[in-house]
Amino acid sequence: MGTATRQQEVLEELRRQIHRIERRPARREGFLASGRPEVDALLPDGGFPRGALSALSGGPASGKTGVALSALREAQAGGALAAYVDGRGELYPPAALALGVDLARLLIVRPERGPPRGARDRDRDRDRDRGARDAALPGLWAAEVLLASGAFAAVAIDVPLHDLPASRAEAMLRRLRAAAEKGGAAALLLAAPGGPAIPAALRLDLDGARLRPRLRAVGGGEDGRGA
Amino acid sequence: MAPERRAPRILALVVPALPLQRILRSRPTAGPLGVVSEGVVCHANAPALAAGVRPGDSLVQARAACAAMSAEPLDPAADRASLRALAEALMALSPAVELAPPDALLLDAAGARLAGSDAEASERTLAERVLGICRHMGYQGQVSVADGKAVALALARHTGRERTRVAPGEGARALSSLPLEALDLPLEVARWLSAVGVDRVGALAALPAETLAHRFGAAGAAAGRRARGEDSRPLVPFAPETFPHERWDLDGSDVGVLSSAEPLLFAVKRLADRVAARLAGRGLGASRLRLTLFLDPRGEERVDLPLARPGAEAALWLVPLRERLGGLRLPAPVRGLDLAVVEAAEVHAEQLAVGDRPEVARALDVALSRLSARLGDGSLFAAESADRHRPEAAYRAAPFRRAGTDRRAVSGEEAPTGRPTRLVDPPRPVVALGEGGRLTALRVEGTARAVLAISGPERLAGEWWSEPFDRDYYRARLEGLGELWIYRDGRDGRLWIHGFFD
Repeated sequence: MGTATRQQEVLEELRRQIHRIERRPARREGFLASGRPEVDALLPDGGFPRGALSALSGGPASGKTGVALSALREAQAGGALAAYVDGRGELYPPAALALGVDLARLLIVRPERGPPRGARDRDRDRDRDRGARDAALPGLWAAEVLLASGAFAAVAIDVPLHDLPASRAEAMLRRLRAAAEKGGAAALLLAAPGGPAIPAALRLDLDGARLRPRLRAVGGGEDGRGA
Repeated sequence: MAPERRAPRILALVVPALPLQRILRSRPTAGPLGVVSEGVVCHANAPALAAGVRPGDSLVQARAACAAMSAEPLDPAADRASLRALAEALMALSPAVELAPPDALLLDAAGARLAGSDAEASERTLAERVLGICRHMGYQGQVSVADGKAVALALARHTGRERTRVAPGEGARALSSLPLEALDLPLEVARWLSAVGVDRVGALAALPAETLAHRFGAAGAAAGRRARGEDSRPLVPFAPETFPHERWDLDGSDVGVLSSAEPLLFAVKRLADRVAARLAGRGLGASRLRLTLFLDPRGEERVDLPLARPGAEAALWLVPLRERLGGLRLPAPVRGLDLAVVEAAEVHAEQLAVGDRPEVARALDVALSRLSARLGDGSLFAAESADRHRPEAAYRAAPFRRAGTDRRAVSGEEAPTGRPTRLVDPPRPVVALGEGGRLTALRVEGTARAVLAISGPERLAGEWWSEPFDRDYYRARLEGLGELWIYRDGRDGRLWIHGFFD
């Protein structure tokens, strides 16, 4: 009787433990290769840290999107999913395909920008100004949801941070960092030069004119504006 | 002579006092309550029974016994709708479900034995599952499994037990001790039998078939066959015609209870569980839900919930619903809720591949549901190549599917080369600056940028049948800006920035 009861209790406890483990998506550890040898050579351990926020900073044609897409391709290599939060509505998927990204495994999140459907003409100009800001906040929220879910190996985030008050943007970025830590995904934030402080573990400045990536800061510091 | 057909194995589910149970489903803490039809109490709940109210009492008698008793009118249409809802949920367990109004359902139990080699154990398992779904839908039921519809129904209604199982061929013996009304005979036959002292099914079964046939014709012969447990009638399958919806109306004294998001969500969860069970029974998944909140005294608030993937799992709906309800500012108290499926699609069981983890799939479903509910289902997509020369139309949005169901080879599609990673939509105008007929700089947003290198053109033109275009594309490297994709419009010669090689 005693032995049977004990055995039953042990089995129940094991069942509970297995259930607990199965409910939690596996946290990914390690680093995600960027897919560009010249970039990997600059990054510590040869890749972007998983479970952390990395910033790719540069102008509109600096090459940061190409690096992010290459990293997403690498993230998909093991059969995992990747996501691109396109808050500016500028991502051109044919270019991603040309870089080897599997479009079927790339979730594109593009929050609606500009005036809402059905808005009156005289409201349109005002709404257009508001559109950019309105896309930034949902974009950052969407990125947080994706990162925290644990279902994506890497998430690239491109939102117009300049349209948000700095304090608001910084608070949202801290949430992104926490979400990346929770879900274990590599978070790649595409940022324009300047702008709010980014609490990134790593910041990579890209200059398209010279095509030479430059590592600006490494570590978990609050201010990623420079090292 | 054709061989006699064998009676099919049937599971009958009876919901005793269905009108009362239906009302109590949304008012679990009601005081003394009676269901009244034409001034007579049909059903009474436990507090009313304890106070001395009896079914069959007139309303005056009932009020004399229990002045606090509230009377609800009998609503056969609502009861029938409840029965249909229960039938939908049970369609998950049986290939055919027949409505047996006013309070019963009949299920084909022949398939139960496919679940295992032991027919008895399989039928008992089926009965347990039917009772489980019945409880999930908010009802207490009684089931019986027997040969034929009449036998199963009679046993479920009149034995008073929650579960009854009669082995094949034992129907007549099981019925013999039941009162005659268990067979639901035509009134004329029942009266005559009663007049001659036949009050048990067993006594009717003992009468010669010829006597009954001679006295009542076909009705008499049928009564005799039922009493002997002979019933080979097939089921008439129920086919739902509309998408499910569930409603909860609050009692007058409860209006105002659902004033904040949490209690509201608690109420929505009950409705969502039931709607999900009904969808699952039909093999459907909701792709769009609508929650309507009825406000007191008038007005309503609607919450539309687009879902990223069709599904019948209430837990996945509740995450985005919680967020939507949290942001609602209601101008008045809620007096009722209705959760309806607006769009649905067939869902098939997904085969997980080696290495797939169900918890990851679930996390993905939750994330997609939240995004879809907040941003709209058009805001998330997977891109697909489109066979168009116009650059801005070279891809189209397609639904994002979980990877396990749509594994395509990486780079399986042909991609055009030399395309920018960012497309500027709409294109921005740019002014060419030059010396001696040579392009030296471009004025971009008011700033002159020296042209360091330029290659091209790549001519893209076509679509003369709709919106013709004729463009010469160049790849230009500008000082301090990087590489841009610009084009000269063949119609007016103007230059435009169309993308960045970012």
